[in-house]
Amino acid sequence: MSVLLDTPAATEPTGAETATGAETVAALAARAAEARRLVVDMAASPRGCHLGGSLSVLDILIAALHRASAGDGTEVVLSKGHAAAGLYAALYVSGILPENPAPLYGRADQPYTGHPGPKVPGVRFPTGSLGHGVPYAAGWALARRLGGHGGLGIAVAGDGELQEGLVWETVQVAAAQGLGNFVLVVDRNGGQNDGYVEDISPLPRLGERFEAFGFETVHTDGHDLGALTAILAGDRTAERRPLAVIADTVKGKGVPAVQGKAGCHYVTIDATRAAKWKRAIR
Amino acid sequence: MTAAPQDAPAPPTPAPLSGRDAYRAELTRLAAEDPAVVCLEADLGGKGHPFQTAHPDRFFNLGIAEGAMVDMATGLAAAGYKPFVSTFAPFAALRAAESLKLTLGYLAAGVTVVAPYAGVSGAWFGTTHHCLEDLAVLRSIPGVTIAAPYGEAEMRAVVRAAVRSGKPHYIRTGRNAAYASLPWDGERDGAELPPVLWESRSADDDVCLVSVGEEGTRLALAARQALPGVSHAHLVYVDHEHLARSAAELGAHHRRFVVVEEHRAQGGAAEALALLLPSHEVTGVAADRSWPARGGDHEEVMASLGIDLPAVFGAVHRARTRDRALAAAV
Repeated sequence: MSVLLDTPAATEPTGAETATGAETVAALAARAAEARRLVVDMAASPRGCHLGGSLSVLDILIAALHRASAGDGTEVVLSKGHAAAGLYAALYVSGILPENPAPLYGRADQPYTGHPGPKVPGVRFPTGSLGHGVPYAAGWALARRLGGHGGLGIAVAGDGELQEGLVWETVQVAAAQGLGNFVLVVDRNGGQNDGYVEDISPLPRLGERFEAFGFETVHTDGHDLGALTAILAGDRTAERRPLAVIADTVKGKGVPAVQGKAGCHYVTIDATRAAKWKRAIR
Repeated sequence: MTAAPQDAPAPPTPAPLSGRDAYRAELTRLAAEDPAVVCLEADLGGKGHPFQTAHPDRFFNLGIAEGAMVDMATGLAAAGYKPFVSTFAPFAALRAAESLKLTLGYLAAGVTVVAPYAGVSGAWFGTTHHCLEDLAVLRSIPGVTIAAPYGEAEMRAVVRAAVRSGKPHYIRTGRNAAYASLPWDGERDGAELPPVLWESRSADDDVCLVSVGEEGTRLALAARQALPGVSHAHLVYVDHEHLARSAAELGAHHRRFVVVEEHRAQGGAAEALALLLPSHEVTGVAADRSWPARGGDHEEVMASLGIDLPAVFGAVHRARTRDRALAAAV
């Protein structure tokens, strides 16, 4: 996904793009709350959605799309494509997607499938087959550097997704190529399809792993929009070490009824419950 | 100006390049004209790669990471580049198959995959280095142009076409075998290769050999010279769209075909042509269902799979015999 230069969001910056500091964070937080309500709406569709991971990754996506709104060619790739509902909502509230995706999600003749593809405005790459978004973003970063341009290739991956070998192939390659403009943000919510990452295939000393590969590593609260925007704000054109951002998140974040519960991985709810959950989102 | 003496020896004709050397040479040449061309290798490009020498800023050996290489090429293509990625066929078509599906198929990205060591050209290296399944995999992915050129000139033409088109390509080649391509109209003008390249056209009522790839074409050429009356049509492109066009042309001239290809029968060109020409007779000389588990050179491993000249002779003989038996019955 990228902020397209001919979209209203890019040509007519919102208050968030022109404001700074606390105002920016407040504006982004409002977007995130609105996006969470949309994700709940998608959980209330006949198809349901990957609710927990969509809610955990939302703040990261909002911050990354805000970074991309600088218009320097930064590309954001949601590699954990099962969080498609979160992506569609984030694209919409960021002004990239021109239509509300929630009423259209999962419907025939609509592009809002359970895993995202390039038919959705703002999405360049098909993801959901885990691991691929990481090298897509790395390839984008390589292209920016090759052309002498600024801008980042940002991949947003899940911690369960890090079990895929393709991720580590790419981490190896990105470090070897000195792709300082490549950023891998890990949405570390601790869950995966069948349970907890810790119980299935844990990732001990994750930060040390990235550092051993030659990455810069930053740990942060993945729901702290101020911290996320600050980390992603850099130019990094002259950097030679790729950046890994390990963002600790909470599955189901923002919806008290499911927050922190592993069972919220995939959820289908009725309209009454959706209305109740949306009222609880702050 | 001094006239050359009439009896001066003609300059020696340089030996043709192998398919993979022709690829490297042509892409290096084209990259000088097109700054969007980039070359990616997964540690099997060899030392002294001419592209690396000529365009070091656009050459990337990404190491032994085939999936990452193909997907990173996707990112490069999305940003406007024309990536050519190369690794051995089994690692490209099988290990990175999911990436090929998404990149070449679903995204229709302008990425070209060049795959040497196709078929059993890896020979004594063993089954891990053989690839008798790549055409089946790639032919099932819509929108991919699949080429199996024979000889240097064809490889150069295919690479040129891939650069020009900006569309997804899979180019299959062998290891080090070097053959002179069949001549075709327009070769000197740099024209694209025709769907069917008729090496020999005999009577329409006899059997037509159809050759695919380096070794299929080598065998067909040898068989045709030994079998008067047999025609020989060579196919460079074997994706569904090209085969459909080829089938129409082949079917207009012949009724019986023997297809020679270094691939398993399942998913190969013979199977495709049989479906495209249901009222014609199509048989194939292709790899059997076994796994070559012993050493030997390329031809010996092919023979162990049932791909050799006696097999071609036998297939032609059976086609002719069946026809006579049918005529006698009628």
